[in-house]
Amino acid sequence: MIQWDSSWPELAEERERQHLFSQLEDRFGIPRSLFDGYLLFKREKSWSLVRNSSHIVAAAQFKVSMVGIRAFQKVGAYIKPTTRMLQIFGGAATRARIVLDENQLERLLGGERLCMDLDLDRGYVILTLGKHMILGAGFYARGELHSQIPRKELKIRMIRMPLE
Amino acid sequence: MDAIFEEYRAIIPDFSGFQGSLQRPMCTHLRINRLRIEPRSLLDRLERKGVKLERSSKIDDSLFFAPGLTSPGNLPEYFSGYLHPQALTSCLAAIALDPAPESFVLDLCAAPGGKTSHVAQLMGNTGLIIANELYPGRHAGLGHTLSRLGVLNTIVTGYQAQQFPMKQRFDYVLADVPCSGEGRFRKIGENGFYQTRKSKLKLPDLQKKILLRGFDLLKEDGVLLYATCTYNPDENESVIQHLLTERDARLLPVVTGVSCEPGLTKWRGRRYDVQIRKSARFYPHRLDSVGFFMARIGRRT
Repeated sequence: MIQWDSSWPELAEERERQHLFSQLEDRFGIPRSLFDGYLLFKREKSWSLVRNSSHIVAAAQFKVSMVGIRAFQKVGAYIKPTTRMLQIFGGAATRARIVLDENQLERLLGGERLCMDLDLDRGYVILTLGKHMILGAGFYARGELHSQIPRKELKIRMIRMPLE
Repeated sequence: MDAIFEEYRAIIPDFSGFQGSLQRPMCTHLRINRLRIEPRSLLDRLERKGVKLERSSKIDDSLFFAPGLTSPGNLPEYFSGYLHPQALTSCLAAIALDPAPESFVLDLCAAPGGKTSHVAQLMGNTGLIIANELYPGRHAGLGHTLSRLGVLNTIVTGYQAQQFPMKQRFDYVLADVPCSGEGRFRKIGENGFYQTRKSKLKLPDLQKKILLRGFDLLKEDGVLLYATCTYNPDENESVIQHLLTERDARLLPVVTGVSCEPGLTKWRGRRYDVQIRKSARFYPHRLDSVGFFMARIGRRT
């Protein structure tokens, strides 16, 4: 039994952990087993993910301000995988992955909703620029896609800006 | 032309070349983040956009100069964590530390997170890194850097580096200490005037305390890297000399694969232990980067 300093977020219960990772598997096809080597912590409405290690026992004694990366966030009735979570693990997704071109991305970042007829239930999708560059999350509902990518971080002008 | 850092004329080789380098803007330097992409793939991506990168290290194929690329933070590849703008010499700190996978690592002064994330990259996101940063105002930026770069093996703490709790010992300690920052100075633009701050005089005392604590936190076979971005021997060799006097420490070779000068053995009438020559001084006229000092330290067996 690890003695965590009180500053640590709460270690997620197994049931909660299974629920969150099953959600990724069911929606995106990201295998649950991918997260076997990780610890999941909960603080208020968000969950953070950190690589498990034999050193965690030693680190548990320290006062911490952050643990790993923020992996999930509760948004209304949904639990949203964060941009970084999808950027890191989205490469393993086999579905609910939408490939955008630069025009579509610019429109999404401008706040537009894109009309798309996809064989997908309402919920989060993974947005990529071209086949390989995973940008983060979008939300698909009733034939419309809108962006969940933080617009402060990925700005329209970054998509086609002159580089020099 | 006023000679800046005139007091270092006797210790910096090719002093006029050094002075000349301060008149030139520094070339953008990038580290390709292997946690997110292989260097070849990113090179191809950027080449298609007209960005040509030039390799900056013979031994590390993830480090590149990017001549003409002034704002790498405006690339989507930056947002996606494929690259990190980081001075070459700053990148050399993690390379010199050379952490093994699965290690327990302490970065005593971690913000803004460039070196921490590089250490994580070299460890392949295994083991565990404690990224310590005293100032809470810097934690958000530190956390952002780590998460953008896909670092999954790190926790952030907020202790005073010189008082980091002696609860555990570490395989590796990185002490990239607060310093006068002389190595960052270039005599260009609005900031083209170097002013010595009075607070600079207090830095060696703090640096000595941090180094002693970092050393005390090492396991028996642990390795510590002390780093500054200053030319000032009072913040470099004198601090190492203090450690050698106070503790059973020994200097280890600094291997980075780029050009450097050995540490000094005398300064202003003071003599330093001869093994301090194993430390490394990096100058901007030798490798077009930030001036840096590094010493790799282990316990004397």
